[in-house]
Amino acid sequence: MANVVGSSVCRTAVDEGKPEDWVPGGEKQKIIDPMKMFHELPRELQFITGSEAARESMRRANIDIAIAYPITPQSESMQQAGYLYDEGYIKEYYRAEEEIGTFSAISGASRAGVRSLTATSGPGLMRGMEAISSWPGARTPIIMLNMCRVINTPLAIQPDNIEMSFMLNTGILMLHAENQQDFYDFPLAAICASEQVDVTLPAVVSVDGFFCTHARGPVKVTPEEYKLPPRDGWRSAVPAMDNENPPARISRDAPIQKSNFISYHMHSSWQQEVFAAVERSAKYFRKYLGGLTEIVNPGAEDFIVASGCAVSQAREAVRQEGEQGRKVGLIKLKTIRPFPTEELYEAVKGAKRILIPEFNQAGWLHKEVCSVLYGRTKGVIKNGPRVYGGMTMPTEMILEWLEEFRKEVK
Amino acid sequence: MLIENNLVLTRSDPSGMGGTQLIYRVKNYGLTAVNRPQEEISQIHWEVEIIKFKDNTISSFEVCHTTELAKNTLKFYTDKSLNEFIEKSFQYFEELDSLEKMLPQDP
Repeated sequence: MANVVGSSVCRTAVDEGKPEDWVPGGEKQKIIDPMKMFHELPRELQFITGSEAARESMRRANIDIAIAYPITPQSESMQQAGYLYDEGYIKEYYRAEEEIGTFSAISGASRAGVRSLTATSGPGLMRGMEAISSWPGARTPIIMLNMCRVINTPLAIQPDNIEMSFMLNTGILMLHAENQQDFYDFPLAAICASEQVDVTLPAVVSVDGFFCTHARGPVKVTPEEYKLPPRDGWRSAVPAMDNENPPARISRDAPIQKSNFISYHMHSSWQQEVFAAVERSAKYFRKYLGGLTEIVNPGAEDFIVASGCAVSQAREAVRQEGEQGRKVGLIKLKTIRPFPTEELYEAVKGAKRILIPEFNQAGWLHKEVCSVLYGRTKGVIKNGPRVYGGMTMPTEMILEWLEEFRKEVK
Repeated sequence: MLIENNLVLTRSDPSGMGGTQLIYRVKNYGLTAVNRPQEEISQIHWEVEIIKFKDNTISSFEVCHTTELAKNTLKFYTDKSLNEFIEKSFQYFEELDSLEKMLPQDP
C-alpha cells in the first residue's frame, strides 16, 4: 500500500482506499544519524506493551519489507506492524505461508539489498531453523524479533527462552531484551550494527514473551518524525543481488558443493569470517547501546549474571538486598552474540559467588559463562534458579538462592 | 502519562509473572498499582492495593483493606481513572496521617 512512490508493485494506495494525495508516513519522516537518534534526541515517556514498543521501534527503523507468519506471542507485534504498513511506515508487508517460507523469503529480500524484518516465537523459530541458519553465511543483515516461548512438549505458550540456545552457534548476532524499553532500543541498534560493511550479518532481538510483550512498562521513545538512514545494499560484505535477474545457480556452483579439499577450505574460511564478523560487531554495540553489559554495584563479592526478564527479577533482588545492607552486584548481558567475555571477566574477577538465574531448562547462559570464565576466576559459579515452561521467578526465589549460596560458599 | 508525584519505586512485578508495579507513598500509607500480561492489549488493566508501610524501607508494607478508600483490590481500565484515584488518595493519606497522630500513642 505504501507503494505510491517508486514501487513496481501493481496495487496502489488508491486501490486500498487511500485518498489520491495520501503520503506514506515514512516519507514524511526525516533521516537522522543513528548516534543522534540513540543519544541526543529528546525522548517522551510512554507506558506501553512490549509489542507496542516493537511497533514504535519499527516505525523509526525505515523498514523496506516485513514478512512473517503469526504465532503466539509474536502475533500481536506483527499485527502492530500491519498498522505501520497501513500508515506507510513499512513499504511492503505480507504474511507468508509458514516459517520455512517466511525465513526463505526474507533472506531473498535481504539479498536484494533492502532492509528486511521478520518476527517469530519458539516453535516457529524451530520450524524455520534450516533457513535461519543459512542467513549468516549468505551475509544477509536481516532483523528478526523473537518473542520467546516454550518449544518442547508438553505444549505451552508461556515464556521460556530455550530456543535461544539453538541460535548460539549459527553466526547470528543475538541480543536479549530485559524489558519494553530494550525492545524499543535494541532492534534499532541491531539494524545499524548488522548493516556495517565489516559485519553484514543477521541480528535477532529476543525478548521473553508475554512477560514483556503483553504487559505495559515505561518506554522512552524518540520523536516519530525521525527515522534511521535507509540500508545501502551496495555497502556490504557481499554485493546485493539483482532479484529481477537472479543468477540461475548461486551456491550450487562447483566447487562449493563438491566433496573435495577445495570445498572444505572454502567452507571453513567462510565460516571463520562469519564468526570474526560477529566479534567485529561488538564495537558498534558498545557505541549504540553504551556497552555490551550493564553493571550494578561493581566490586561486590556476590554477583548475579542474567539476561532478559531474569535481569528485572534480579534487579529487584539486588535492591532488596541493599535495603538489608548487603551489596550484591548485577551484570546484565545485553548481547549474547557477540558474548561480552572481557566485560564479564573484568566485572567478576574479584567475586566469590556468581549466581545465574534463567528462564529455560538447559541453563545455556550458565554454560556460556562457565566456558568463558573457566580457569580465569576463583569465584564459584552456581547454576540457578532455573524456571521453565512458563513458571514464574519471584524475587523471593532469587533471594533464597543467594542466602543458600552464602551458606555453601563462605 | 501516570502521576509521578510520590512515586517511590517502579519495578518489575516481584511475583515474577511479568508486568510492572508502581509504588506510591505518602507518609506511612500508599498504594501499589500493578499491570500484568493479558492476551489482548484491551484487557490490560491496573490492580490497585492500598498499603501501609511498616518502616522506612520501600518493600516493607502490608495490604490495608481497612481504609475508606478501598475495602478490597481495585481495578482500573484506563490511566485516566487510575490517575484520578491516585490524586484523591494522596489527599486522603495526608488526612489519615494527621488523624492518626491525634490518637493516643502507646507509651
